[in-house]
Amino acid sequence: MKIALFIPCLVNQLLPQVAIATTELLEKLGHDVILPEGQTCCGQPMTNSGCFNEARSTVMKLLNAFKGVECDAIVCPAASCLVAAKENFHEYDNSPEAKAVIDKLYELTEFLHDVAPVDSFPRAFPHKVSLQLSCHGLRMLELANASESMKPGFNKMAALLEKVPGVEILYPEPRDECCGFGGTFAMDEGAVSAKMGNDKAQAHAKTGAEYIVGFDPSCLMHLDGLIRRHKLPIEIRHLAQILNDAI
Amino acid sequence: MSQAQTSVGHAEKADIFCKDEARVDWHSKALWLLRQKRDRAAAAIPEWEELRTLGSEIKLHTLTHLPQYLEQFEANCQKNGIIVHWAKDGQEHNRIVHEILSKHQVKKLVKSKSMLTEECHLNPYLESKGIEVIDTDLGERIIQLNKQPPSHIVVPAIHLKKEEVGELFHNKIGTEKGASDPTYLTRSARAHLREHFLTADAGMTGVNMAIAEDGAIVVCTNEGNADMGCNLPKLTLHSMGIDKLIPNNEAASVLLRTLARNAIGQLITTYSSFYHGPKPGGEMHVIIVDNGRSEMLKDKLLAESLKCIRCGGCMNTCPVYRRSGGYSYNYFIPGPIGIAVGSNQDDTNTIPWACTLCGSCTYVCPTKVPLHNIIAYQRRLKAEAGKLPYGKAGYMPMVGKVMSSPTLLNCAMSVARFSLRYLPGSLLKPFAGAWGKYRELPKAPASSFEAWYKKNRSK
Amino acid sequence: MSSKAEILAALKSVALPEHPMPKVEIAPRLDDLIGQYEAGLKACGGTLIRDNALAALQSQVDTLIAEGKQVISRVDAVTGNREVPSDPHELKDINYAVIPGQLGVAENGSIWVTEDLAGIRIAPFICENLMLVLKAEDIVANMHQALAKISLDNTGFGVFIAGPSKTADIEQALVIGAHGACTLNVYLV
Repeated sequence: MKIALFIPCLVNQLLPQVAIATTELLEKLGHDVILPEGQTCCGQPMTNSGCFNEARSTVMKLLNAFKGVECDAIVCPAASCLVAAKENFHEYDNSPEAKAVIDKLYELTEFLHDVAPVDSFPRAFPHKVSLQLSCHGLRMLELANASESMKPGFNKMAALLEKVPGVEILYPEPRDECCGFGGTFAMDEGAVSAKMGNDKAQAHAKTGAEYIVGFDPSCLMHLDGLIRRHKLPIEIRHLAQILNDAI
Repeated sequence: MSQAQTSVGHAEKADIFCKDEARVDWHSKALWLLRQKRDRAAAAIPEWEELRTLGSEIKLHTLTHLPQYLEQFEANCQKNGIIVHWAKDGQEHNRIVHEILSKHQVKKLVKSKSMLTEECHLNPYLESKGIEVIDTDLGERIIQLNKQPPSHIVVPAIHLKKEEVGELFHNKIGTEKGASDPTYLTRSARAHLREHFLTADAGMTGVNMAIAEDGAIVVCTNEGNADMGCNLPKLTLHSMGIDKLIPNNEAASVLLRTLARNAIGQLITTYSSFYHGPKPGGEMHVIIVDNGRSEMLKDKLLAESLKCIRCGGCMNTCPVYRRSGGYSYNYFIPGPIGIAVGSNQDDTNTIPWACTLCGSCTYVCPTKVPLHNIIAYQRRLKAEAGKLPYGKAGYMPMVGKVMSSPTLLNCAMSVARFSLRYLPGSLLKPFAGAWGKYRELPKAPASSFEAWYKKNRSK
Repeated sequence: MSSKAEILAALKSVALPEHPMPKVEIAPRLDDLIGQYEAGLKACGGTLIRDNALAALQSQVDTLIAEGKQVISRVDAVTGNREVPSDPHELKDINYAVIPGQLGVAENGSIWVTEDLAGIRIAPFICENLMLVLKAEDIVANMHQALAKISLDNTGFGVFIAGPSKTADIEQALVIGAHGACTLNVYLV
């Protein structure tokens, strides 16, 4: 498939390794990968603060970067940004061109699970991983069944990781409580954000896993800051990095 | 709460609450236990998700047919000998209550838990008129004696430790000094309140559901305080918001299955009482209150918050509520539903931001109130009203400008990356604010992905 | 304009689109209703007496009365030592109340008791200990069946009672015996 990468600003600037892994992974899977120019932020820091006027030009700038781009899918390795982009594109632009973009938007996990499924990954990753089920991917994209829901259980990230030989999947307790990042929440509500993050990081570490694996770079970055501050024996990895190393 | 307290924003109050980490852990764990019990109770019913959908649809149906059902309810109540009153707001509600009480020369009123009377500030109003008001739910009585508002809508004294309750009861109702055994304290409160039940001149309750087809109200308690309060004195009063209405018994059957299960993981409350008319020789009043609800119904999203059945499940699951406590919200209802219905009452304009928009509350809710969407919407309403907290009004336009200009964004981020890589942490920390206070700053990469892509993939 | 008229007028501009009343079509769980009921009752702190229940109840009441306890019975086959008063306050010293239940709900262990059956509304609440008599054939599966069956037409008050009164308002510690009865025995006949 021809895939246009949607690399949100945070990943582009601070976590390029996640975007590189995504590129390499998709290429190894046989896809044709392009990076449309002129991408910027999804607008979430502003719209999540209620500032829709301030967000408009940013969101439109991002949307315009994808309008008319020839591709089968637009794939993003950041669940929360993807959700925000979808909602915000819809908020500011109801044109058929915008709808064409929105309809092609996929988060990486759902793309690899639903759109272009992968049978198996050849190279082993013989490690224990603790899954970080970040909220927006979990509850807004339904990448897994949230613990509140009594629907039949499923977990797209786990389903992908199970195809990698040697991976042992673990879950923190509570399984899918928010890590406390929440965008500007991390700054506005520093004390609660840090407490949530510490509880989460410790719950991950308690599983005995070597890596926290997730689909949302912003949550992982927040957890990383706390892990290093408190010197916890665990590291963060994006799902794309694990899968890329497994091919 | 005093004015001085309410002018402090959520973050500042939460910061103080978080200073005692052991207590935060204790508080969070107590509430998480309720969430876990709820999960077990919900999982035991195969039709749980179907009940949530039904609960939502029943409420939506009723809310979109309120005039019809309110009139039907009133007519059926009157047929059953119940006297019905209508109050536009809290003031009118309080006036009506006082008129009824003074007509009967009531000196002592026993009250069972009612968030609506909290909303209307009924207790201080009646006390100012010389009427003694005794809250009879154990948790409510504890905080009434402690001169505090509820910190949770179902377990109002969840913030207090048993030793603190023991000390309070020792001072107020004469329990043994140092005694903190919950059974001993509960039995002492039973004896103390039994005296009040037997000597009260009138009883008052809130309403969990009002059934239009029957002209009946349903009151749910575990302690039996509503029924002790209502079935001894001749005079009873019941206050209800217009949102408490449901069409019929079938609707009640759905909500009675989810209410206690979602609140505390119980199959049903010990008592689900249907009051359908006054006791022989008695007098029963129902006061129907609007107090801003019809205004909320004029907004498509805010209207959905009126589907709430006040189970408190959203508080128990909320990671922010559990770690900031019920008193950090500047509204008498804390947690997600408090933000959804009370943001316009918060003079610090901060409570809509006491949320990570994680959405757990929405998924827990037994009537599918889209809580996180409403909270996000409350932020938008604050922004549109020019009431942004935490300096957002100042920096958000800047963010918008930088983010929409790749040149500015790239410049800013290059500086940031450079600083993160080459400046010592001690020099950066003062500039990193709340991020750096609690966390290590991100390890900055040498270049952006875009630069990598240009170098490695440009054709 | 009266407050009622004002409220009703304000409700003309509800922003939500009209929504139909849903049909409640939930299949009841009909296997082992008595077993389900017993489990439900146990979960809410009550005790089920199944064997020779009515005789057991009468002999228990006889013993209680011999011990000087105050017992009010609303069950024909069981004789107590107190009558239904006109003033509910007179029941303040009641130790035991024996009351027939109209129906039991298997999913949650509750029993529907009405004012008529209780004789006076306060009876099931003010007693120290509550004894309810339930016919096995009156157990329904769930609340949907229960609420379809009960009618308030001829009674001013009815209550689903699920176990003894309880509270967990102090540090989440469950304490049986709050303001209502401190024990509940259900006699299945």
